[in-house]
Amino acid sequence: MAFLKILFDNLREGPATEAFPFGEAATPDAYRGKVTFDETNCVGCNMCEHVCAGGAIRFSEKEDGLHFLIWHNTCISCGLCAHYCPTKAIKLSNDWHLSHLQEEKYEQVDHAVVPYRHCTSCGERLQPGGPMLHQLAFKGTNPRSQRLMNMCPDCRRKASYSGEAL
Amino acid sequence: MDFFSKAARKSPWLYRINAGSCNGCDVELATTACIPRYDVERLGCQYCGSPKHADIVLITGPLTARVKDKVLRVYNEIPDPKVTVAVGICPISGGVFRESYAIEGPIDRYLPVDVNVPGCPPRPQAIIEGIAKAIEIWAKRA
Ligand code: SF4
Ligand code: SF4
Ligand code: SF4
Repeated sequence: MAFLKILFDNLREGPATEAFPFGEAATPDAYRGKVTFDETNCVGCNMCEHVCAGGAIRFSEKEDGLHFLIWHNTCISCGLCAHYCPTKAIKLSNDWHLSHLQEEKYEQVDHAVVPYRHCTSCGERLQPGGPMLHQLAFKGTNPRSQRLMNMCPDCRRKASYSGEAL
Repeated sequence: MDFFSKAARKSPWLYRINAGSCNGCDVELATTACIPRYDVERLGCQYCGSPKHADIVLITGPLTARVKDKVLRVYNEIPDPKVTVAVGICPISGGVFRESYAIEGPIDRYLPVDVNVPGCPPRPQAIIEGIAKAIEIWAKRA
């Protein structure tokens, strides 16, 4: 008689089969899908490239900044990049609609440029650094830290020593 | 015969080739067919056991050097026209095994691929999405 209970449950709760592809599929928020990259917070530490298990991430230094490249077709969604990124500039979204036709195989790429900064005092080229790095390094912001942040180490030392940055 | 080809257009048969996969993708392929929650057969297709009966072929794995000839032999057994789906990043790019001495892939060096379903492994819904794309191609080709 156990089947009567199953029959009753089925009538009450509806089919167990998910509607997809004729409707939406439930996706947990924490599902590890397509990688997203936020160039405003990346500090160019290259850690994500270093730990990337699938070799999906490439950084190259160009005139205008660091060029970030990811090929989603070799990303294994392991989440190592997001785990080790100090500023959480790289994350895994829960987007899993990645299937595509063969013609689009090499278009499954995201590219971004992380611009270099320049020392506000002498103009020397600096590694990128966004507001998130500022938060992390100084545990909050104030005008002094903001000023020092955008200087090269030499100018920062001089400014601190002379007291002009106080 | 006309009746049969019309019916075949609507109900392609799926066939699965493992080209040296870690089994992750194969488990997800079994899931799409065997678990009522996903049930790929709603799309009018079903898995078959012989390459001679197949219309849509799903390939997993990075095409290891050891299995390459066997995979190509089975693939050539499948009658034309057929639609080829690469499931998982292994057949698409080699994935974590890319540039290994033991790998002959990516699979499109040897076979004409039509649809790619990336993921390691892709979730069952993503595989169903890829199969739906393959069925569209199949309807035009059959
Ligand atoms: S999720 Fe893993 S494989 Fe994908 S980009 Fe990040 S580190 Fe690389
Ligand atoms: S995305 Fe994160 S880990 Fe990668 S280089 Fe930028 S800051 Fe470093
Ligand atoms: S794509 Fe990932 S899960 Fe699928 S066979 Fe390759 S390594 Fe295994």
